[in-house]
Amino acid sequence: MVDIWNLIILDPMLNGLIALSEYCFHNFGLAIILLTVVIRLILMPLTIRQTQSTKAMQSLQPKIQEIQKKYARDQKRLQQELMQVYKEAGINPLGCMWPMLIQLPIWIALYQSIMQALAATPENLLALSQHLYNWEIVGRAIPLNEDFLGLKLSQPDNTLILAILVGFTMWVQQKMVTPPSTDPRQQQMSSMTTLMMPMMFAFFTLSFPSGLALYWVVSNIIGIIIQYFVGGGWGYLSFAFLKPQPQPANVQKTEQSTKRLKEGSEKKKD
Amino acid sequence: MKYIKTILFVGILISVFLTGCGDSSGSASCSGTQAQGWSGFVKYKQVLCFGSMEGRVIAIDPVARSENKTYPAANEWSYLIKTSVPGSACGAMCSPSSGTSQGIYDTPAVTGGLVYVGTYNGKIYAINADRGVVRWIFPRESYETVGSIIADIVTDGQNLYFVSSNRKIYSIDAATGDFRWEHETEGKIWVAPAIDNGVLYAGNYAGEVLALDADTGKTLWSIKVPSAVSSSLTVFKNSLYFGTFDRNLYSIDKNSGREIWKFTGGNWFWAKPIVDNGRIYAACLDHKVYSLDASTGKELWQFETAGPVIAPIALTDSYVLAVCDKGILYKIKAENGTLEKEMPIGFTVMSPPYTDGDMVYIYARDHNVYAVDTATGTIKWKFSSFLK
Repeated sequence: MVDIWNLIILDPMLNGLIALSEYCFHNFGLAIILLTVVIRLILMPLTIRQTQSTKAMQSLQPKIQEIQKKYARDQKRLQQELMQVYKEAGINPLGCMWPMLIQLPIWIALYQSIMQALAATPENLLALSQHLYNWEIVGRAIPLNEDFLGLKLSQPDNTLILAILVGFTMWVQQKMVTPPSTDPRQQQMSSMTTLMMPMMFAFFTLSFPSGLALYWVVSNIIGIIIQYFVGGGWGYLSFAFLKPQPQPANVQKTEQSTKRLKEGSEKKKD
Repeated sequence: MKYIKTILFVGILISVFLTGCGDSSGSASCSGTQAQGWSGFVKYKQVLCFGSMEGRVIAIDPVARSENKTYPAANEWSYLIKTSVPGSACGAMCSPSSGTSQGIYDTPAVTGGLVYVGTYNGKIYAINADRGVVRWIFPRESYETVGSIIADIVTDGQNLYFVSSNRKIYSIDAATGDFRWEHETEGKIWVAPAIDNGVLYAGNYAGEVLALDADTGKTLWSIKVPSAVSSSLTVFKNSLYFGTFDRNLYSIDKNSGREIWKFTGGNWFWAKPIVDNGRIYAACLDHKVYSLDASTGKELWQFETAGPVIAPIALTDSYVLAVCDKGILYKIKAENGTLEKEMPIGFTVMSPPYTDGDMVYIYARDHNVYAVDTATGTIKWKFSSFLK
């Protein structure tokens, strides 16, 4: 299983990344940025679909909450009613997860490629030898130049700059897509998640190679840009600062996107 | 729905971290900073000294070990090198953690009754070879380091020469540890230099090969090869031999740096090539051991092993001893490359084996030293480097 994973996904990406660093003036930092951008662009249709599905699901939340309250004691009826709502809206409740699941192996491979290519210790460098292709360009690039903008990419960042950047960009990205809830318990839970994840990653940044943190920052920034254009502006982030009504302003847009999705699914049926 | 998403997100997070931590060798950590080391042995009087994966310098007496005496027996000792590793546990926010230890890569050198060991955190320790007490440490200030020392220290009997990850080549006085000179190069240096006739030869990860005056550290000549230097350097007669990351083994003129020949393998020549009787024996990560004509680079024979050969090979009178990372020791006829005996150790070996007559001593990744009788193919004794 591991061999198949390496053969089909990890090794091509790893060798591609290393070869790319040679084209980027022997600069591995630039190669990380470039490959992250390229992969996010390739996965853009999936990301957009996922974002739209999520938005559509969120637009149904008031109605879902209403049904949940109404049929709280009748689970069977609750499920039936929920399925009816999804059916009417033309939404698959798991629709926002499939794109995420398809993207997952690619993210894992990119993450592993960066970790392996950085080869922080002599053992890591040796392990790398078993993944490399017999390409002249790869042979020339190894070991990679780990200096980038004052960072040692194979070492944790000595300053707090990268940790703050990772935490902040992740928080912004999450805040843009997390709707405020009328239910105080749910609101508390989502606030916790929105805060905990960025804090966790910021903490990881202090121990992990800064090349990986660089990838997180770039990936988050691209995520924010995609979210901004696809999701319609700053989304729920602006609400966090403006303290508005619970109903977001771009719900109308979301409803439109739900309608588009519905139309799309109907067209597919035809 | 929200719960499903939360569970999925946490699942993703865990899977990402689990798949990113570790590799097939099991040596990598999540942060990619775990270093275990692969020191070999040096003999002083009747004891063998080596650096352990737990950060100790250990002297063992093969006779005492074969008699299964309690460690330490007479002549035996160990010295734990405690290091400060900033951020090893929780990153830059943490203050340096004292009292931790790191694996040793450098095979110790011995001269004048002192054992010399370079450490991963950038210090050289000179230890009394009889008693196991420290004579001096370089650099002297506790907060000063010279960058990780991966490669072996070399000595001409009077002085020590060593290289560091900080791109520098150093020379210090062997008796006192006094600084003599340093020479900055363009790249990180993880491969051992070679000294011959007052000239120090070194290669680095920027593809530079340099010849320095061992007295002054001044450059006599330097060349650039197309790829970084992957193996320690060997000098024999008028040639300098080394491997590179583009899978070549080079022979260059030691007086000018002019290329004489190069031989391409199936992967990196990671281990130091060994020269004997006009032949080169080179272990390769392509699962093979090659024998080449030292003057022409013509392949004489090749021997296929079960895995990459990471550790340098060892020579006995008429045999080549190679150990692959699958933990199999091969006794090969030096003349024609035919297998004489195959001896399973059972664990990955990265450290250089040490031969003494028919006995070969191997420090495996299970933290045990194995004494193997190559005449009978049996393991005579083993010794765990986990010491209290």
